Amino acid sequence: MAESSLDVLLKGSSGRNTRGLLRIIILLTIAAAAVSSRLFSVIRFESIIHEFDPWFNFRATKYLVQNGFYSFWDWFDDRTWHPLGRVTGGTLYPGLMVTSGIIYHILRFLTIPVDIRNICVLLAPGFSGLTALAMYFLTCEMSSSPSAGLLAAAFMGITPGYISRSVAGSYDNEAIAIFLLVFTFFLWIKAVKNGSIMWGALTALFYGYMVSAWGGYVFITNLIPLHVFVLICMGRYSTRLYISYTTWYALGTLGSMQIPFVGFLPIRNSDHMSALGIFGLIQLVAFAEFVRGYLPGKQFQKLLTSMVFLVFGLGFAGLILLSVSGVIAPWSGRFYSLWDTGYAKIHIPIIASVSEHQPTAWPAFFFDLNFLIWLFPAGVFICFQKLKDEHVFVIIYAVLSSYFAGVMVRLMLTLTPIVCVAAALALSAILDNFLVLSKPDPEAVAKASSDDSKSFRSSRNAVVGIYSYFSKTVVTCSMSLYLLLFVAHCTWVTSNAYSSPSVVLASKMPDGSQFIIDDYREAYYWLRQNTPDNAKIMSWWDYGYQIGGMADRPTLVDNNTWNNTHIATVGKAMSSREEVSYPILRQHDVDYVLVVFGGLLGYSGDDLNKFLWMVRIAEGIWPDEVNERDYFTSRGEYRVDEEATPTMKNSLMYKMSYYNYNSLFPAGQAVDRVRGVKLPAESPQLNTLEEAFTSENWIIRIYKVKDLDNLGRDHNNAVAFDKGLKRKRATKKKGPRVLRTE
Amino acid sequence: MRFFTASVLGLFVPSLAAASNLSTPTQLTLPSDFKPPQVFKNTNLVRNTNLEKSYVRETINVVVENVDKQPQSDYYIPFPSDVFDRVGGFEVRDKKATDKGRFEVDATEVVSSSSNQYFVVHFPEPLAPKSQITLGISYSILNSLAPRPAVIQQADKQYLTYSFSAYVPSAYQTVTQKTKVKFPSTNVPDYTETSDLKSGADPERKGATYTYGPYETAKLAPGTEYPVTVRYEFTNPVITAHLLERDVEVSHWGGNLATEERYWLRNNGSELANQFSRVEWTFSAYQKAPTSAVREITYPLQPGSVDPYFTDDIGNVSTSKYRPGNGKTAAHLELKPRYPIFGGWNYSFKVGWNNDLGRFLHQIKGADSYVLKVPFLQGPKVAEGIQYERVVVRVVLPEGAHNVRYQTVEGANSNGLPGANHIRASLSSFKTYMDTLGRTTLTLEVDSLTDEARDAQLVVTYDHTLMDALRKPLTIFAGLVSVFFAAWAIGNIDISIKKR
Repeated sequence: MAESSLDVLLKGSSGRNTRGLLRIIILLTIAAAAVSSRLFSVIRFESIIHEFDPWFNFRATKYLVQNGFYSFWDWFDDRTWHPLGRVTGGTLYPGLMVTSGIIYHILRFLTIPVDIRNICVLLAPGFSGLTALAMYFLTCEMSSSPSAGLLAAAFMGITPGYISRSVAGSYDNEAIAIFLLVFTFFLWIKAVKNGSIMWGALTALFYGYMVSAWGGYVFITNLIPLHVFVLICMGRYSTRLYISYTTWYALGTLGSMQIPFVGFLPIRNSDHMSALGIFGLIQLVAFAEFVRGYLPGKQFQKLLTSMVFLVFGLGFAGLILLSVSGVIAPWSGRFYSLWDTGYAKIHIPIIASVSEHQPTAWPAFFFDLNFLIWLFPAGVFICFQKLKDEHVFVIIYAVLSSYFAGVMVRLMLTLTPIVCVAAALALSAILDNFLVLSKPDPEAVAKASSDDSKSFRSSRNAVVGIYSYFSKTVVTCSMSLYLLLFVAHCTWVTSNAYSSPSVVLASKMPDGSQFIIDDYREAYYWLRQNTPDNAKIMSWWDYGYQIGGMADRPTLVDNNTWNNTHIATVGKAMSSREEVSYPILRQHDVDYVLVVFGGLLGYSGDDLNKFLWMVRIAEGIWPDEVNERDYFTSRGEYRVDEEATPTMKNSLMYKMSYYNYNSLFPAGQAVDRVRGVKLPAESPQLNTLEEAFTSENWIIRIYKVKDLDNLGRDHNNAVAFDKGLKRKRATKKKGPRVLRTE
Repeated sequence: MRFFTASVLGLFVPSLAAASNLSTPTQLTLPSDFKPPQVFKNTNLVRNTNLEKSYVRETINVVVENVDKQPQSDYYIPFPSDVFDRVGGFEVRDKKATDKGRFEVDATEVVSSSSNQYFVVHFPEPLAPKSQITLGISYSILNSLAPRPAVIQQADKQYLTYSFSAYVPSAYQTVTQKTKVKFPSTNVPDYTETSDLKSGADPERKGATYTYGPYETAKLAPGTEYPVTVRYEFTNPVITAHLLERDVEVSHWGGNLATEERYWLRNNGSELANQFSRVEWTFSAYQKAPTSAVREITYPLQPGSVDPYFTDDIGNVSTSKYRPGNGKTAAHLELKPRYPIFGGWNYSFKVGWNNDLGRFLHQIKGADSYVLKVPFLQGPKVAEGIQYERVVVRVVLPEGAHNVRYQTVEGANSNGLPGANHIRASLSSFKTYMDTLGRTTLTLEVDSLTDEARDAQLVVTYDHTLMDALRKPLTIFAGLVSVFFAAWAIGNIDISIKKR
């Protein structure tokens, strides 16, 4: 009886409904798993914005919510990049902020009082649930197997490669951009398959959204034309392709130009030229197709050859001309660094100084993708076997993004979706063959193929199938084991590696309970409460966004890094002697200087460890005044102890880090726990700055810039006088002897 | 959705402000050449000035006699205009019958002819000629203690000064009077010694209590002053909340009483002469040395308080600890600010918790009326006391609550609150969580309070019918139905280009 009632559920039209319902439930469960696995940090710490860039996005969102869309669009921010300011409204991708602003206003309309911070914190997990759904749709376009889509959605939901950028609180552009990326690709495949203007227009719509959300939209801008180009080269030109591409390009480009930050880039920047070129090419191909229908073969051949040469020559010449004359912007530095990993280190230290722009280490692939990374080639191979239009897309995407992921750590993010697709294709192929209990009936298959006797023997499908239960069991079990291991690995990586807010540090007490080190917020809140509202804070640019967001004070430089000279100025102030730095600080109205010092706690991400980048960036602008070599000992070591070079010991950064540090220790026993060295017994002397605040674990040290001396002395003399030292006689400088030249 | 349901359910809206006892304080306007009529005489006056806390707490016991021929009932108490606004929790009782409650007191506006402003005490029954009454006057004066020296080193002791008149300011002739000043410790390096006011040493010192007087002042004109300044050690923070917003939210459906308090604190003690030194602070904290900085604030919560939080503008303050009580004893929330609050430093934060509503709310049998009894003010409990420059208490009642009345509970002793006509009360509506009308909100504003008012209780009565309670489920139901209907209607529209 039970069997027959199951049959009712599983067969026929009600069976289809049951499966549909089941599929929806599975998808919802996947989405829920995707969301909840990203909540580790909220549960362990609190609902807080993470890291650096998210703090700016959060601040911008608050500005948007408070002041409305139009003033956000025209926002000139005078509280960053003092004294230059920043045209923030025109130099950001507004998609993220506008999305959370819309969600906020919808909730407000329903009078649900949700704090804007909570919306920002939970936006990334929420959108990752949507990404899993988009992944399902995309993969379903690739395979007829019902399991492929679900597997891909599940992979996408929990793979660490994506979680790394979308945990709760990681309120960055990538939070929504990956969803848009996957969904745009899905729509594009749909458009190519159907040749429908509607799907093409939808692709353009989501492409526009993507442009508004993330600079990585260039990836789509180049991948879709490449797909079209490859298809044309394979001789697969069709009206479907023409319709979908032209629709997408025309509408998508117009849409993308609505974003002020993008503006006219799509027609001027080299990064976008391939899309424009393919747009031209496809017109020519379409025209050629049209002409071919009316002309005899021979003449058409001639026409085609001459046309190809002419157009190619003209186009190439035009491109060179425009590039040389400067109408088309040259390739950006970030673009070059994609091809030459050493380029940034030499030419743009500011790009190279960011850890996420470093080349990927091999273990990272396995760490972020686990067993998907070895299923990935298998999936690509399956695509080669089928090789329809959409499979070509997968192959191109796979090749390109594998390369990029190898070049830059952060581009692992764009690799992840295609790895999930390919791995799901491979795994579903395995499961479809091995998980079926019934054996294939060779006679029935043979009969079916012999019916089709008109076709060639070689083109008939051979009768393949798995007959042995043993091999079925073994393969199924091992695959299940891998899947279970994958889940365990993802959970472990997410919880251990990607769920720390990095604003709040956690350590363990001897009894195993959590101990929270909250120095950043301690110092930022002190600044916020106890300094004048427009006190200018100078710090290295890493902390600019956090100071803007948490301390709410104007900063000199921040993570936007749009002005290299300004950053170099700060670098110079940090790496020079006080006599050199003080005028720089005065000229920039600096009231407080903030440094991060991990020596007491052994916190390795502190400013002294980043110090060489400051020196290098400053040297890039003032090669005569700052010299990296001076900070290394004669044996080429970077030292901070007794052996440190005089330049190092006299640099403002060194002094601010170690000022008064030795008084915490018994005499002569001060130890820096990050660099593991014993420090000089004497504390460095600061004349032009005074210590204003030091956080509980000394991670943040804030110094106040002294005003000019009341009596017009320089600070050296004033401090010496206060200490009761005798004033040094201004002895006549002897200087090197020179010959009298009369 | 909102418009639709609002219009449907708007039919059941009762009028909100009907029958309530809300008032806004009025100030008496006096003629510009006003002088209090000399109808009383203070036969004996004792003033106790308590300087143990970070604000001044004074109680004056005075025997008043009617010297007029008519029965009199208005007794004027003068304060200098610059002090007047900082006088908090002003209360006058009959000393002989304290349980009869406080007398009604009005405040006056500035009188241009004198530098004084007055509190006018209205006796419940006029005082017959020649008869006497003993008044117990108590109040606190905020922000009247000045740190001297104004800047100190981080580990130094802190000293406060307080200036007052040895003659108690009074509108009437006073026969004998004396002032007892109670200091927090015996370390009083400077104080004014009067020379010719009385025979013998003045003040008389006894431990930490200094007594000025008694003086025979029958011949002195009312209002004569003799300035006195004392300077004493007070190595404690002078905690001042220049604003406290306290929200008490009643939820009938959730059976929950949610409390949230937002503080804007400042330490009015001596500022640091040099900048803050972490090294010194680490060592002094290790030795538990007394300090003028706020190191930790203990916040007792009522038994049964759950889900406490302590946050500020940038998130959870991870240095706090919660020690739950065992159901009967009070729970303790140990708040440690992110950084020690030295003189001149600010710190703003937010604390909140939940309570079971059953302990605070009582339904009147057989009626749709409810009585809510909640603390008017809770606040931290610290030995040095806290002064609140402005307190705004909002009681958010359920949606549709009407006929709202409130009262503060009066006992035999002072509850630290001023009289009802010094509390500004207003009703408003507050929309949250899918409200259609908004929740009835009672807002009470009081200026110049101290933590004396910690135990004051507030009683609010209101009516809330079943229909009010059902409004929200019905709203959500109607909203969902309209969404489904709209979806169905839109789904039925044929938008295809092709003719079918």
